[in-house]
Amino acid sequence: MTLPQYEDVTEYLAVFSKPIIDECQKRNLKFRLLKKEKANRREFEFAPEYNFVVLNGHGSEDFITGHKDEKIIAKGENEKILFNRIVYARSCWAGAGLGKCYELKENKGCFIGYNIPFMFLIDVTWATNPSKDKIAKIFFDTSNSVAIGLIKGKTAKESNENSRKSMLKAIKKSIIKNDDNSRAIAEILWNNYSGQVLFGNMEAKI
Amino acid sequence: MSQKNSEEINEKLKELIIARIEANMSSNLKLSIGANGSMNKEQMIRHVADNDEIGRRIIQTHLNFMRAQATGQLTNALNEV
Repeated sequence: MTLPQYEDVTEYLAVFSKPIIDECQKRNLKFRLLKKEKANRREFEFAPEYNFVVLNGHGSEDFITGHKDEKIIAKGENEKILFNRIVYARSCWAGAGLGKCYELKENKGCFIGYNIPFMFLIDVTWATNPSKDKIAKIFFDTSNSVAIGLIKGKTAKESNENSRKSMLKAIKKSIIKNDDNSRAIAEILWNNYSGQVLFGNMEAKI
Repeated sequence: MSQKNSEEINEKLKELIIARIEANMSSNLKLSIGANGSMNKEQMIRHVADNDEIGRRIIQTHLNFMRAQATGQLTNALNEV
């Protein structure tokens, strides 16, 4: 799992990825974290073979970045190292370009990502201590459930669907709560719900 | 539709989205859109008013939600969970 952590957005991605790490540890799964400066292309390309990859970072249709915007994966350059693996990319747009590479019939892996910008809201009260931010937590809990579902042995299709359902449940909860933040939360969750996509082998499992 | 009418609709659309941001975003919230960093209500409104890339993305997000509400897509999806 890549965990760049060099500005406010990647700080949140890194902090809220902890439940994924906890789930791996709980199940004694072998995993490798590429944190901060180590979230670079060289470390990523020389990583031992893992069949499940979580990418946190900025992105576009054609690439996903790591530390300080270094392109870790780029279409036409090194995307083939992801093939036949299960990939979850919490990164803007990557589903629209990189994910589509997984439509190749011979690919046993899959790609879950976003064909829109992944968005989240933060409560500035907790800007210096993101782990306490209950607003941001809503967006990361619902997206973490993709990776956690896969770690628990569910298929890519089940994990993607469960994550999207959890977004709908969070929208419902927010609408019912009807406080000052409810409408904004519902709107941004709907954005992520609409844009979370799965390509490739839907029955893929870790 | 004439270019003038089209421009008027675009201006009205921007006004609508700005009004929604004013009403929906509390002052304690910031929106994070990928590499563009996080922005508060005033910065979001500025992007929409300027009709720049981030502003157009914000408009699109609001339109998607309004469309889902208007067509019943949102209600149908929420009824499934």
